[in-house]
Amino acid sequence: MTVETTDKLFYSEEVFISNANSQVEVFEEIYKKLYKEDLVTKEFLANLEEREKNYPTGIDMSVVSTQIPNIAIPHTESEFVKTTMVVPVKLKNEITFNNMIDPSKNFKVKFLFMILNDNPEGQSNILARIMDFMSRTSENELITFFKLEDTESIYKFLTRKFAQYAQD
Amino acid sequence: MFKILAACGAGVNSSHQIKDALETEMKNRGYDVQCDAVMVKDITEDMIGNYDLFTPISKTDLGFNISIPEVDAGPILYRMPAMAKPVYDQVEEAIKNS
Repeated sequence: MTVETTDKLFYSEEVFISNANSQVEVFEEIYKKLYKEDLVTKEFLANLEEREKNYPTGIDMSVVSTQIPNIAIPHTESEFVKTTMVVPVKLKNEITFNNMIDPSKNFKVKFLFMILNDNPEGQSNILARIMDFMSRTSENELITFFKLEDTESIYKFLTRKFAQYAQD
Repeated sequence: MFKILAACGAGVNSSHQIKDALETEMKNRGYDVQCDAVMVKDITEDMIGNYDLFTPISKTDLGFNISIPEVDAGPILYRMPAMAKPVYDQVEEAIKNS
């Protein structure tokens, strides 16, 4: 897979709806597909798990709105990934993550934006774009988005919103 | 030139966002700053001695005493002015006190 433009962050075939019940389960599920498609290296899974343990990535959205679910942005070092993209994962079952900005705290998470970034010096600002999406999309639209039950609708919504905010 | 060291786990996303945000905001406030983004595990006592301020995502145990002022910059990551402002204010304070 080639990234056509630096702006393209989502791919319709790399959107997940997961039944996993734990971080380990969901990470393994995503890793298996990404590895098969040569988007990550064999060491990706172990490093992703270790990094999440030492430097958690849960983002507490309750400080923004109690109506919006918490998210997490799992990722690991560039050397274990072979592309730049965001892999959205809707979690059917809430999974506990620790808070990125206060790791002693944890909460339930309903959606992951897994970040693959093989070029940290690039201009992609992926995390900033994810947070712009979370803070600029209206509460009503986000509530509807987090209820979507099919990967194509999730892909389309994210692609449209990210493109819109990138132009502003 | 005021030198800031931003750090996160993977050195890929969070620390770079903090670097970009601090450089932009401090420039807007009229200060000449330079910020580097690194992985927490790569930080040494010698390295940190080359900087004026340390801005991790959250309180970070480096395994040695941090000899420079520290401001936890995690709230910047939300990209919401109300959350970022207290962090920017603390950074500006650190610059004034340097």
